[in-house]
Amino acid sequence: MKTPAKYKNRIELVQGTLDMLVLQTLQWGPAHGYGIVQALRTHSGDILQVETGSLYPALHRLERQGWVTSEWKQTESKQRARFYRITAAGKKQLASDLSRWQQIVAAIGSVMQRKPEGGKA
Amino acid sequence: MRLFPGSFTRRKQELDEELQAHLQMAAQDRQHLGESPEEARRATLREFGNVGLIKDVTRESWGWIHFERVFQDLKYALRQLVRSPGFAITVIATLALGLGATVAMFTVVDRVLLRPLPYEHPSQLVEIREAGKRGIVENGVPYLDLAQWRSQTHTLGETAFYISQRGKGHLSFLEGSAGAIQVGAPAISANLLPALGVSPVMGRGFAIDPTTGAAQSEDAHSILLSDPIWRGFFGADPAILGKTIQLSGNSWQVIGVMPRGFSFPETLAVPLVWTPVVLGDKDTRRIYNVSPTYSVIGRLKLDVRLADAQAELNVIQPQVARQYTDPYERDQVSSVHLQRYSDSLVDGSVKKSLFALFGASGVLWLIACVNVTGLLFARAAVRQREIAVRGALGASRLRILQQLLIEGLLLSATASILGFALAIVTLKLFEHTLTSQFHIATSMMPSLPVIAVLLALTLLSATLSSLWPALGSARASIEPALRQGGPQRGSGGVHYRIRALLVVAEVAMSLTLLVGCGLLLRTLYALHHVPLGFRTDHVLVANMTIPAYKFAGQDMTTTLYQPLLERVQHLPGVESAALMTEVPLGKTFQMIFSLRTEGNSTAEIRKRELRAQFRAVGPEMQQVFGFRMAYGRFFNQHDTPSSQPVAVVNRAFVRAYFGDDRDPREIFGESLFSFSKDKRALIVGVLDDARQVSIAEQAQPEIEVDIPQITPDAGFYKGAEGMAMDLAVRTGRSPSTIIPELRELMRRASPELVTANFTTMEQVVEDSYGSQQLAAHLLEIFGAAALLLCVSGIYGLLAYLVSQRTRELGLRIALGARRADIMSLILRQAAWMLLVGSSAGLGLAWLSSRLFQTFLYSVPVHDPWTMAAVTAILLVGGLSAASLPARRAANVDPMQALRAE
Repeated sequence: MKTPAKYKNRIELVQGTLDMLVLQTLQWGPAHGYGIVQALRTHSGDILQVETGSLYPALHRLERQGWVTSEWKQTESKQRARFYRITAAGKKQLASDLSRWQQIVAAIGSVMQRKPEGGKA
Repeated sequence: MRLFPGSFTRRKQELDEELQAHLQMAAQDRQHLGESPEEARRATLREFGNVGLIKDVTRESWGWIHFERVFQDLKYALRQLVRSPGFAITVIATLALGLGATVAMFTVVDRVLLRPLPYEHPSQLVEIREAGKRGIVENGVPYLDLAQWRSQTHTLGETAFYISQRGKGHLSFLEGSAGAIQVGAPAISANLLPALGVSPVMGRGFAIDPTTGAAQSEDAHSILLSDPIWRGFFGADPAILGKTIQLSGNSWQVIGVMPRGFSFPETLAVPLVWTPVVLGDKDTRRIYNVSPTYSVIGRLKLDVRLADAQAELNVIQPQVARQYTDPYERDQVSSVHLQRYSDSLVDGSVKKSLFALFGASGVLWLIACVNVTGLLFARAAVRQREIAVRGALGASRLRILQQLLIEGLLLSATASILGFALAIVTLKLFEHTLTSQFHIATSMMPSLPVIAVLLALTLLSATLSSLWPALGSARASIEPALRQGGPQRGSGGVHYRIRALLVVAEVAMSLTLLVGCGLLLRTLYALHHVPLGFRTDHVLVANMTIPAYKFAGQDMTTTLYQPLLERVQHLPGVESAALMTEVPLGKTFQMIFSLRTEGNSTAEIRKRELRAQFRAVGPEMQQVFGFRMAYGRFFNQHDTPSSQPVAVVNRAFVRAYFGDDRDPREIFGESLFSFSKDKRALIVGVLDDARQVSIAEQAQPEIEVDIPQITPDAGFYKGAEGMAMDLAVRTGRSPSTIIPELRELMRRASPELVTANFTTMEQVVEDSYGSQQLAAHLLEIFGAAALLLCVSGIYGLLAYLVSQRTRELGLRIALGARRADIMSLILRQAAWMLLVGSSAGLGLAWLSSRLFQTFLYSVPVHDPWTMAAVTAILLVGGLSAASLPARRAANVDPMQALRAE
C-alpha cells in the first residue's frame, strides 16, 4: 500500500501541460492509457501524477484534433487495449507546445532569480 | 460531426472497454507486486476515481453531450405530454389553428404578391401607359407614341411592346392531328425577349429591326413555343425547329422554344405561344380603333429610379401629345404613368385586402400563442414541485429552462405539422375562389418559402409561448416549493395577474377580428340583397371560345349559332336557351362601344365619353333571364337579317347619352351606329338597369344587338360572333346530367367547342361577390376561432383561480357568505377582464377596420351597430364561460374545503 506521505509528494499538473506531456510520451512509441500514466510516473521519478479523469478526456480531445490516432491491439500480456499513436500534425503541435513551455519556464526563471533591488522605498 | 446513433453507441462501448482494460492492467500490475486480487481490484478502483464521472467528462470532449441532453429532454418532454394528454391536445390544437391560418394566408400572399418573375432583374422592368383627363388609358398606345419614347429616353434601356390578349375570348386554337387546344398567342415585339433578359433554349428569337424594335418582315410568320406546348403538344419533338404548325387557321414556322418556367404576360393562365409584332401601314398613323395599340414594357437603366424615368417621360410626353390633332384626344394622353411591372400584375386593392387578411391570420396566431402562454403558466404552477425536485437533485437553472423550452418546441412542432395539414385543407376548400379572385395559374400548394415561414413560425410560437413561463419556473426558488405541502400559493398571485393580462390581450385581439368579421358579414348580407334585375336560378352557362377560322366565308349566325341553339332548345328538360357574347356579371369577355363624334359642345363631349358594354344577344335571352323592359320592346322573331336592324339600350345608357333631364323614350328612333352601309340600327327598347358588370357597382351603360340580325358584312361581326359566345340554358335538370349532352351537341357543331367551360349562373354571381365572399368566409373562420380561444382562455383562468382558492372560498361560506356573493366575486373577475379587453379591442378595431375598407359595401367603416353587436357577443360568451367556474365556486362545500388542508 502507498503511504500517505508518498502521495503528497506528487505534483498536480500545471494547467495546459497535460497535452504536451501526453504527446511527448507518445513520441517514444504507441501506448495505451494505462501505459501513458505509468510512463509519466516513471520518467518523472514518481512525481507527476496524471488523473485518469483528465487523461481520457485529453486523449479523446487530442484524437478529435487529429494529433493522435488510435487502434485496438493486444498488449504483451494478451490484454486488448486501445493504443494511441502520435501523428505528423501531433508532432508539429508538440514542437510548438515545447517551445512555448520553454519560453514560459525561461520567463518564470528570470523573474524568480532576480535579486531584490535596494529595498528602500 | 458524426451524428449516427449507431456509431454513438459503439463509441460508448469502446470507451467502457478502454477504461475496463486500464483497470485490469493496473490490477494485474498490483498483483505482480504481491497484492491479493481482491485488494488489487479495490485499490485500483480507488486510485482510478469515479468511473461514471470519467466517462461523462470524456464523452463531453466528443462534443456530443449536448445532443445527448437534448435527446434526453425530448424523451422526458414526450413522457410528460403523454401523461397529460388533455393539456397536450389543447395546446397542440390551439397552436395548429393559429399556424394553419397563417400558413394558408401566407401561401396566398406568396403566390399572389411575392411570386418571382421568370425574368432577369424583374425589379427593373416597368410598365408604361399614357394618362390624361379620363385617367389611365388601358387600351395601350399606338406605335408612333412609343417610338418617340424609345428615341428620346435616356433612363430606359430596351423598351419593348406587345399586344396582350386578356381574357378567354381572345384565345387561339393550336391545331394538331388529335384536335385543337386553346392557347394564348400574344404578339410580341422582337426586342421583348432581350428586354426581359430571356432567350430561347432552342432555336432563336425573332429577328430585330434595330430602329423600331419590332420583328423584321421575314419573321412575319415565325412562331415561338413555350415549354409546356413543346412538351405537351409536340411531345418534346427535338426536330421541331423549322416545322410548320397551324394556329387558328394560319400557318406558322417554329423558330424557337422558350425555357421551362418562362411565361409572358404573367396574367394568362393558358399555355402560350408567341407571334411577332411586325409593323405595318396602320402603325404609321394614330387613328382610334384602326391603329394597333400596344402594351409597353421598359427596363430601367442601372441605378435609375422609377421616379427619374417617370419625370423624363413626362418631359417627352407633351411633344407626343402635340401630334394628336384632335384637342379632345390630346387631353387623354397628356402624361405618362409608370409602374413596376410586378406591381402592374396585382391590383392595388387586391394587394391591400390580401395584406389585411394576412394580418388577420397573424392576429389569430398571436391569440393562439397568448392562449398557450396562459396554459403553460397554469401548468408551471402545477409542476412547481416536480421542477423543484429536479433542481434539488442538481439540475441547473439553464438545464431546467432548456428542458421546458424543448417541451414548448415539441408542442409547437407537432402543432405545425397539424397546422400544415389544416392549411392545405383550407386552401383546397377555397381554391376556386382564390384562383378566380387573384388570377393565379399555378396550384395553391405551399412552396419552399412557405415552409421556411412555417418553420420560423414554429420556433417563434414555441419561444413566444413557453419562454416566459419557463423563465418563471426556472427562476423560482426551490426551497419553499418543496417545503409547502399543498398547492403553491407564493407565486400564484403573480401568475394569476400575468395570466389575467394575457386574457385581456386575447379579448382585445379577438374583438378586433370579430369587428372585421362583422363588417364583412354585413357587407355580404347587403350584397346578397342587391336586386340584380334578372333571374339566376336554374341557369347553366357555357363559355365558348369560337374557332372563327373554321367558318371563314360563311355566315356563322346561320351555319353555327342558329343550328346549335335549335338543337339545345330541343334537348329534353330545357325550358329555354339563349346565346349572348357574355352573360351578365360574366368576366370572360367584353366589348366596349363608343361613339365617333366630332365637335366640342357639352352634349358632344358627353357622347364621346360614353363607354358602353356591347353585347350581341339572342331574343330568347329574356325568357332565360326574365328581366324587364322599362320602355319599348326586346328583340323578337320578327327581327331578321332582312328587316330593320334594331338595338336596345339600358337606362344607364340613356342617362349617359342624354344626361338626366330627358325622357328615356326620346331615345327611340335614335340611330347611333350602323350594321353595314345604309343599314342604320334603330333603338327600339330601354332595359331596366341591372347589375350586369359587378354586384357592388351600379349598372353601366349597355347597348345590345340581336344575333339573328348580324351578318358577316356588319362591322362588328368578327368581335360579336367570332371570338367568344356564351350559351345560357334554363333547365330544371341537374347540371351533371345535362352537361355531357350539351357538350356533345357542341362537339357536333364544331369539335373545338368541346373546350367550353361550364358553370352555373349562381356560381357566376358567387364569383362576382368575389373578394368580399372570400374575406367574409376567412374572417368568419378566424373570428370564430378567436372567440373560441378567448372564451376558453377566460374559462381556463377562472377555473384555475377557483381551484387555487377553494379553501378560502370554503372559509368565506363557513363564515356566512352567501352563494350569490361568491358567484359575483368570480364573475367580477371575468367582467373586469372582459371590459378592459373590449375597450382596448374597440380602440384597435377603430384603427384597423380602415384596412378592410376596400371590401366593404354599404356599411360604414366604423359601423356602431356592428361594434355593439360584436362586443355583446364577446361579453355574453365570456360571461357564460365564466359562469361555470363561478357556479363551482358557489357550490364549494365548506366542510370539505377546510378538511382538505
